[in-house]
Amino acid sequence: MTAHAARNVPALLLGLRDEGFSGTVRVSGHPGGTIHLRNGLVGAIETPGAPTVTSALLTSGRIDDEAWLAVCATEPDVDRLGGHLVAAGLIGAAELEVVCAAAVFDGAFAMALSPPGSWELSDREPALVTEPGVEPQQLTEETARRVALLSRSWGAPGELTRVRPVAVTGSGPRRPGVRLTRRHQGVLDHVNGRRTPRDLAFALGRGLYAVMLDLIRLEALHLVRWDTRAAPDSRPSTAPRPSRTPPPTDAPAPKVVPLPKRRPRGGSPGHDAAPRGGS
Amino acid sequence: MGETTTALQASLDRLLDSPGVTGVALVDAVTGLTYGVAGDIAEAGDGTDASELATLIAERLGAAGAEGELESVVTTSTKRQQVLFTVARPTGDPLLLSAGLDRDRVNVALALRSLGDRVGEVLA
Repeated sequence: MTAHAARNVPALLLGLRDEGFSGTVRVSGHPGGTIHLRNGLVGAIETPGAPTVTSALLTSGRIDDEAWLAVCATEPDVDRLGGHLVAAGLIGAAELEVVCAAAVFDGAFAMALSPPGSWELSDREPALVTEPGVEPQQLTEETARRVALLSRSWGAPGELTRVRPVAVTGSGPRRPGVRLTRRHQGVLDHVNGRRTPRDLAFALGRGLYAVMLDLIRLEALHLVRWDTRAAPDSRPSTAPRPSRTPPPTDAPAPKVVPLPKRRPRGGSPGHDAAPRGGS
Repeated sequence: MGETTTALQASLDRLLDSPGVTGVALVDAVTGLTYGVAGDIAEAGDGTDASELATLIAERLGAAGAEGELESVVTTSTKRQQVLFTVARPTGDPLLLSAGLDRDRVNVALALRSLGDRVGEVLA
């Protein structure tokens, strides 16, 4: 089977591994993403669903912005940026490998949370890649393990990406009987009822999967809550909302004002009071 | 993850020089992902198991009122020891160095100390 006849992304990557493909796979969908391959191995994954290596290094403060920009100015080829970061003493080579590999697995996990759309192959694009890269088979197996673990411990992982946890009142660091690690406390400090796990991952410069695991743990400790699980369709409801409380009987009836009619060619209702016909 | 010797692989290989160490693995303490292995993979231990064990112990210690972060876990059987060391990082999620030790070949106390002293070198 050739890679181009693959029925899904994992099969595609396996096929491209056999071909020793170096280039880019652009996957559409929500969130979709870009997979950078080097000699058939997955070197980097960039997706809106999870922080990239750059986000992880800069947001966490591991490397400060000025030093990063200075190295970028020295080496415009992003593929070789890692060597310069190490040479500049900003991070150890082994630690950079860890950060890059973690981002690859996290990106794959984020992309797996919703069905992918189509994909297209293109030439090699510069990216901060892990060396020598991750075997597609290993990537698929690890992603499946993560999805299965979350499914067992919480439920559909796709739904977990849409919750907006809020801290339970009194869930501060001095809550009796609960001693949190710095990592859990960091997550707890960032939940505000508006951020999704993805938002938290970006805010903390951590992996989406790791943040999800921590949120599940914090919920089990009754330190965060999400009242209702989000509907599978994450779009806000446009259905009319029935009033929960009837208006008081002695209140004056609200004045019903019809919406102004839209006019073609940008006509303003205020200057076009007379209907042109029809209704 | 690939066949080229990387900086991480070289770091892990060097730890096999420590007396009695039969296998080592660098594991993500949160996700359980194994970043690298050297020596006997079975002796190094499974990354997922290691992270779950360390998480469980840390939580129980915390619930019991222990201060600070988990530093190490030593599991001893008649023939071998399994050791988990927390690998310090300036930022980012914690890592675990999982190591298997052969009790017949080593003074365990010395091996633990030697390995503990070298944990910080792994990410260099």
